[in-house]
Amino acid sequence: MKENQIAGFFKGIGNAFGLIGTAFSKGDWKTKLSFIIMGFGSIMRKQFARGIAFLAVEILYIWYIVSFGASYLVKFGSLGTVATHEEPAYFNGIEIGKTTVFGDNSFLILLFSVMTLFITVLFIIIWYINVKNNYESQLKLEAGKELPSNKQDLSSLLDHNFDKTLLSIPVLGVFMFVVVPIVFMILVAFTNYDATHQPPTNLFTWVGFENFKNLLSIGGSGFGSTFFTILIWTLVWAFFATFLNYFGGMAVAILINKKGIKFKKLWRTILVMTIAVPQFVSLLYIGKMFAKDGLINGYLMKWGWIDSAIPFWTDPLLAKITIIIINVWVGIPYVMLITTGLLMNIPEDLYESARIDGANPFQMFMKITLPYMLFVTGPYLLTSFTGNLNNFNVIYLLTTGSPLSTELTGGAGRTDLLITWLYKLTVNDTNYRMAAVIGIMVFVVTAVISLVVYNILPSVKDEEGFQ
Amino acid sequence: MKKRVLALAMSTAMIASVLTACGGGKDTPAQDTNNAADNTAAANNTATDNNAPAENNAADNNAADNTAADNQTMDFGSGEIKIWVPDAVTGVTQTLADSFFSEHPEMAGYTVKIEPMGEGDAAGKVIMDVEAAPDLYAFAQDQMARLVAAGALTTISGDYATFVQDSNDSGAAAAAKVGNEVYAFPLTSDNGYFLYYDKSVVTDPSSLEQIVADCEAAGKNFYFDTGSWYQTAFFFGAGCELTFDTDEDGNFTGINNTYASENGLKAMKAIRQMSESKIYMDGSSVGDAVNWAAIVDGTWDSSSAKEVLGENYACAKLPSFTVDGETFQLGGFGGFKLMGVKPQAEAGKLVVCLELAKYLSDTDAQLTRFNEVGWGPSNVKAQEDPAVQGDEALSALREQLQYTVPQGQYPGEYWSEADALGETICGGNFKGYTDEQLMTELEAFAAKMDALVQ
Repeated sequence: MKENQIAGFFKGIGNAFGLIGTAFSKGDWKTKLSFIIMGFGSIMRKQFARGIAFLAVEILYIWYIVSFGASYLVKFGSLGTVATHEEPAYFNGIEIGKTTVFGDNSFLILLFSVMTLFITVLFIIIWYINVKNNYESQLKLEAGKELPSNKQDLSSLLDHNFDKTLLSIPVLGVFMFVVVPIVFMILVAFTNYDATHQPPTNLFTWVGFENFKNLLSIGGSGFGSTFFTILIWTLVWAFFATFLNYFGGMAVAILINKKGIKFKKLWRTILVMTIAVPQFVSLLYIGKMFAKDGLINGYLMKWGWIDSAIPFWTDPLLAKITIIIINVWVGIPYVMLITTGLLMNIPEDLYESARIDGANPFQMFMKITLPYMLFVTGPYLLTSFTGNLNNFNVIYLLTTGSPLSTELTGGAGRTDLLITWLYKLTVNDTNYRMAAVIGIMVFVVTAVISLVVYNILPSVKDEEGFQ
Repeated sequence: MKKRVLALAMSTAMIASVLTACGGGKDTPAQDTNNAADNTAAANNTATDNNAPAENNAADNNAADNTAADNQTMDFGSGEIKIWVPDAVTGVTQTLADSFFSEHPEMAGYTVKIEPMGEGDAAGKVIMDVEAAPDLYAFAQDQMARLVAAGALTTISGDYATFVQDSNDSGAAAAAKVGNEVYAFPLTSDNGYFLYYDKSVVTDPSSLEQIVADCEAAGKNFYFDTGSWYQTAFFFGAGCELTFDTDEDGNFTGINNTYASENGLKAMKAIRQMSESKIYMDGSSVGDAVNWAAIVDGTWDSSSAKEVLGENYACAKLPSFTVDGETFQLGGFGGFKLMGVKPQAEAGKLVVCLELAKYLSDTDAQLTRFNEVGWGPSNVKAQEDPAVQGDEALSALREQLQYTVPQGQYPGEYWSEADALGETICGGNFKGYTDEQLMTELEAFAAKMDALVQ
């Protein structure tokens, strides 16, 4: 399936080149001239609307490249060579200080080069459409058919080509605000853009795979050991945060759903109350409560239960356990809400027949409830797992990644996830080069896990399972 | 209980503000303006004392005005000058800027736009996007090397450099320089820390062991941050040195590092010993502290400390500590707040920016800020003011400052690594370590510092 797609893509490109070749060899002079002057053939064939649109695109593109794009694109290879310097400034003949003469701005060079490259690709596509269009018009005329008039062309934009009209602006927006920034950030991973190479006063340049080597090099000032420590904790955290919440929430829901439990609504309301308080408020509050001088330690000591404060946030292992448990408390109500409805959906006759066959509650849970729940909530589990891999809020608001350790580099702490470490690198250290590399790594980890798990989900493998 | 809830609510707000994270991980003094008592007291002083500095300033301005005098006919251009100052002084700064432009009508083509920004956060925000940064901004001095390396400060030369060097105390004047170039105008000389304590609990504020013992006996907490900025009190106090040399571009070219030594070991043991007390808390903000009888903090928290302790409020220089029978006075950093000017491409605007920065850091402005929000002046004339001389917290700080090292330039990695060192010790990770093991840790830390120099 996937290979077909890739093969299809290359086949499409091959076809496109084929068409260009045929159009050039078999085209008349109008078509041939359209290779250089876009829309020429269309105008000659009285399709003014199309022709002028193509011509306008070409003029706009040339104007853009000459006046703006080219000056950045030529420096793309070096990301700028002219350094910023200071010159003595004179005011009324008296030296009053130094004004700054700004040189190349590597940041803008990189950004606008990427933008120009995208615009160029877009232009080539439009140029291809122009060639194809001209050639097809020529063939139509040769076959004695009539060409669509200008009016028809324009009105088609509101009729059978309405999809293109509607989608053009969103697609452009997606490219400008999503694709270009992503490509830009990926490229930053191959530069030395950090605190000492900061535009506009300093230049940065390409360094190849140096940052990736640094991320994987263990020992010395390399990020390797820190990266793997944090990666392992990120995975451990995501595992516990997802499954403890899931099974905890389901257990609570089953408990409350059980016949004979009184005040069902009251219990549900109490649990849902934790959702009513914004999560970041409760997290900050709990973070303070468990501090060495917080309420919990304060009261335990006051009552004489403990002698010295429990190091909830300063002991690495205890901090990790505390975070996971607090996350259970914050997360269970959500899962309970989701599962309560689903549990009521399981046909009662399944349980009844199981009971007649002499199954005990545990067997019923394992054979009926769990398979059904896994089937229905499989995609939720997956998104919640990947969400937990990047669960910035819980970690940063509770501990900001502390306790710090002399064994970790890059300002990382023992409870940092990749995403909070990335944040620290960007905001505290302005180490964009390493942050970009870690960003790529986060993507790789998330993508691999998502793809693998998605393909083994029961709801994907066996869509008909519970119909 | 009510107080605790309040404290929690306040700390919640604090943490929310810390979310924007300060570069060095260093404490960013949050100026409290809620102190009405302080303000009225200060206002009285203003009435009586303002004459003298005003005269001084008039004389002072003449000299500088000679350069600006010919400028009356010149075109300075027009536009907007954006200024970042900490929240507490935005009002004061607006007033000062207004009077600056009424004194200099020839520069009135410019308007000022003042935005609040903590001096600890300013550098990080400026470096993130230098082009969008404000034209003038106040920052904590430890951020200077970063700013210079990022090219976010214009060099200050000529009369302006002379003004910076001549009118400020020697520490502040040195702090305004990187290499041999002047890069900023000092605003305060009060970024240091000392001891606030409860007179009814602490019997002898001059001995760390006694303070800990008194607090333990009273069941009250003792706060002493062991983060990068505060922990130097132990290391420098024990006689260790850690300074970096910088060139004009803000690159670190040399290091003087004696942490991995007998004295460093003693400092480390003292921190460990202190942190093992059950009443010891790792923190340095009165707003966050609960049930405390002693805290190491700076002048920015004086009003809240006064509020908490009431009649028992007292300040003192830092105590001395004893390790292996040897006694050392705690040292630490003496730091400054500075105002920097962003590199400018137009000479006219540069002049206006420099003049305005000079005005905002001159005697009058510093006294106004002292009276309004209690910032300790760096200007030598302002320091002689009786009101400044009489301030309890500032006197304690002045006493402590003689044991401190003027805070030079440190690479960003120093702050994060030293934070990690402090948290590792306080987290009890070195519990029961022998001297040899501790020495290995110190050597590893010292090696990391050495590696920061190219």
